[in-house]
Amino acid sequence: MSILQVNAVKKIYTGRFGGNQVQALSNVTFDVEEGEYVAIMGESGSGKTTLLNILAALDKPTSGTVCLDGKNLSKIRESEIAAFRRDHLGFVFQDFNLLATFSLEDNIYLPMVLSGKSLAEMKERLTAVARQLGITSILKKYPYEVSGGQKQRAAVARALITNPRLILADEPTGALDSKSTDELLRLFGEINQKGQTILMVTHSVKAASHAGRVLFIKDGEVYHQIYRGSGTENELYQRISDTLTMLATGGEGR
Amino acid sequence: MKTGFYSRLAWTGIKNNRKLYIPYILTCMGTVMMCYIVSFLSTSPTFAAIEGGKMVQSFLDMGFGIMKVFSLIFLFYTNSFLVRRRKKEFGLYNILGLGKWHLAKVMFLETVMTAGITIFGGLFFGILLSKFSELFMVKVLGGAAAYTFTIAFSSVKSTVFLFLGIFLLIFLNILCQVHRTDPIQLLHSEQSGEKPPKANWLIAAAGAVLLGAAYYLAVTISDPVTAISTFFLAVVMVILATYLLFIAGSVTLCRILQKNKRYYYKINHFVSVSSMAYRMKRNGAGLASICILCTMVLVMVSSTTCLYAGAENSLRSRYPRNINLSVQLNEQEFFDAASTEAAKSRIQTVLEENGAEAEGILDYRTAAFGAALQGNRVNLDQQELDSTMLTEDILQIFIVSVSDYNRLMGKKETLSPGEAIVYTTKDMNYEEEEIHIGDLETLRIAGHAEEFVDNSIDSMQIFPTMYLFVPNVEEIIAPLRELTWGSNHVPLVSLYWYYGFDLSCEEEIQIQIQDQISGEMDALKSSMDDDAYFQFVVEGVAKERADFYAIYAGLFFLGIFLGIVFVLAAVLIIYYKQVSEGYEDQSRFDIMQKIGMTKKEIQKSINSQILIVFFLPLITAGLHLGFAFPLIQKLLLIFGLTNTSLLIVTTVSCYLVFALFYMLVYRITSRSYYAIVSGTLSP
Repeated sequence: MSILQVNAVKKIYTGRFGGNQVQALSNVTFDVEEGEYVAIMGESGSGKTTLLNILAALDKPTSGTVCLDGKNLSKIRESEIAAFRRDHLGFVFQDFNLLATFSLEDNIYLPMVLSGKSLAEMKERLTAVARQLGITSILKKYPYEVSGGQKQRAAVARALITNPRLILADEPTGALDSKSTDELLRLFGEINQKGQTILMVTHSVKAASHAGRVLFIKDGEVYHQIYRGSGTENELYQRISDTLTMLATGGEGR
Repeated sequence: MKTGFYSRLAWTGIKNNRKLYIPYILTCMGTVMMCYIVSFLSTSPTFAAIEGGKMVQSFLDMGFGIMKVFSLIFLFYTNSFLVRRRKKEFGLYNILGLGKWHLAKVMFLETVMTAGITIFGGLFFGILLSKFSELFMVKVLGGAAAYTFTIAFSSVKSTVFLFLGIFLLIFLNILCQVHRTDPIQLLHSEQSGEKPPKANWLIAAAGAVLLGAAYYLAVTISDPVTAISTFFLAVVMVILATYLLFIAGSVTLCRILQKNKRYYYKINHFVSVSSMAYRMKRNGAGLASICILCTMVLVMVSSTTCLYAGAENSLRSRYPRNINLSVQLNEQEFFDAASTEAAKSRIQTVLEENGAEAEGILDYRTAAFGAALQGNRVNLDQQELDSTMLTEDILQIFIVSVSDYNRLMGKKETLSPGEAIVYTTKDMNYEEEEIHIGDLETLRIAGHAEEFVDNSIDSMQIFPTMYLFVPNVEEIIAPLRELTWGSNHVPLVSLYWYYGFDLSCEEEIQIQIQDQISGEMDALKSSMDDDAYFQFVVEGVAKERADFYAIYAGLFFLGIFLGIVFVLAAVLIIYYKQVSEGYEDQSRFDIMQKIGMTKKEIQKSINSQILIVFFLPLITAGLHLGFAFPLIQKLLLIFGLTNTSLLIVTTVSCYLVFALFYMLVYRITSRSYYAIVSGTLSP
């Protein structure tokens, strides 16, 4: 069953006085199945971030529809959109976006507090998530006291704590060193194994090679996609590299 | 590189930071303007010419001194704020290849530009408004205004030099900042984490104790003399306590709230409490400054307004009648009415010559002495009195015959020997059943009088007065006759005859009558025998009014004036707080929105935090003012103001007006805060 359906999404940015129209997405269509781990790749300016913002309901498409669990995102009322985002989506960002004024524990609690959950329920969820991500011992620390990898794991914990339908990750390894990157990708794999659907936007071939499927976006369209199938990470890595080379040299794919 | 490039760079620097620069320039202009006006008024010859003008000018001179110091501190403070915010820009310029020398050049041009704009602008408005303030002052003093417009070049010169000096210091400070610039560190300065604020129980508790002690001091003060010394102690304690409480106490409170998990993990509290802890850590000192400035303004404006509003009242209690004659006599003349009758007939002649008639005649004698009241005993031991520090026991005792009392107040009291009716002024109460005058005699208190006529000695003194109405004054003072005080062995008991009356004629005629009476009394005195004692003072309301008003109006003007300046300072600090908070909060609210907080929730949280941050100083200032009230009331007694209800009314209305103004400033400045914060909030 597909959890996310993106259908003919188009996004045009208009300058302040009606001039300067920029087409960020021309026609994007794809589905994400339940339990899938999808990576989206593309160069700077290819429309990745715009797409992610639309999927996160932070932005609205000019035309086309995005349905999560069969619900059209643009039909959700303004007042409910934040709650919807909170309950159905989990976010992991490149620069972690942890609040400096909160300890890691409080950062992870934030979405649950916003949903008005009870303290007991929050504690129970936190214990489970923290153990899974191996951050139990640093929960009381503040973001400035821990490493980038630890920050990102806390951010993942924050995304997971609400049991979201879909995790949206925006360049999650972008600010990490290679060891932390490996660690995080391993965690993503584990989480996915347990049935969590993940959609990741990335530049990194290495990160994408952990996914089950890789979508390539160019000039605002889905240009190509690769399924891992039964192949290994290394095989996928090789195929992604080849595709990227082809994209860069301007070959006609599809 | 050409200078044109630098000046362009400097001008862009000002233009691009206009959110910060415009208020700065406006404040500089305001300060220049205020300085010019004060300087102008304190030297204005037209102003000096009116009666009482000189007196006010001496107050203004003092005000100009305060303004100088204040302008320096204040402009320095605001400028260092500006420079701090621009450090990143300096770092960027530095990396792009602009050496520190070049940066200094740019900053020099920027300082010259702001100095030029503000000094010229400030002088322009100062000159424009100086005439208005002069007219206002002349009106307050009750003189006639001249409508000539003048520019005081000496004031222009001193103002310009003052501000050139200030700007030079400011520029040196900037140089220092630029010199210490480390570009790499600066570029990343905003990303470095900030340690979570720690609860400092000790300091918070110290602040609370200090504030409690200061409040206790203020409330328990019972006499004005100790009030003066205590006032400064209490002020210092309150200032210190305010800083401690705002900086440490607020953070500690946030930490306590955070510990209470049931309270903390709620939508409405979670974000607000944790950010408040940081906000207070950063802004505690600034808010405490705002609070103290507010309190200063309120105390100053309310007390001076009250003095001014109560001036007529104080004038009447200082001078109970239009014409007041007070004569000190020796014992012989005190009991034998010959000289006083002669004086009265001469006054009558003067009045008849002027076609005036005395109304509400006040005519009584009193034997007065100062002493200390300890329990029910009046301590007459002068040596003991000299060594005592307990000024609150000191009072003056007026002994008046009960027949004078009956005549003046329209009563029919009869007393037997050894009895007295007591009346006390200035909130003093005497509840004992008898009173011992030294070890010499004892009087039984037969009753308490509800009122008595005003007496100029009583209203001039800060000590309370006890009137003892006795059947026979001579008997009472006989045993006291030999007592003296001071190194010159002046008799302890002074004997006075008061004679006062109202006149319904014009003030000029009243002054003329007063002068003629003075002359007559002089003549009378010289016609007396050598051993006669006749020390007289003639005072008249009409003649004293101008001087009287000059003091009160001077204080009033100074109060309002410094009030405006301090308010200006508070407003600017508030504005900069809002702007800097806005920049700091921008990214945090962006994150919260991504996490799934609605715009409404964010705004609610912002609102509650800002409300607390901005109304905390106002409320604390109100609290300070409330506790300072008894102290202010005692201090105003020194100025002869005894009207407590007037003080309450002016204090409360000053607070309300101020709160209204504060609200307005809050509304305007919070708008720029929202503009900054919502810049990142997507629709």
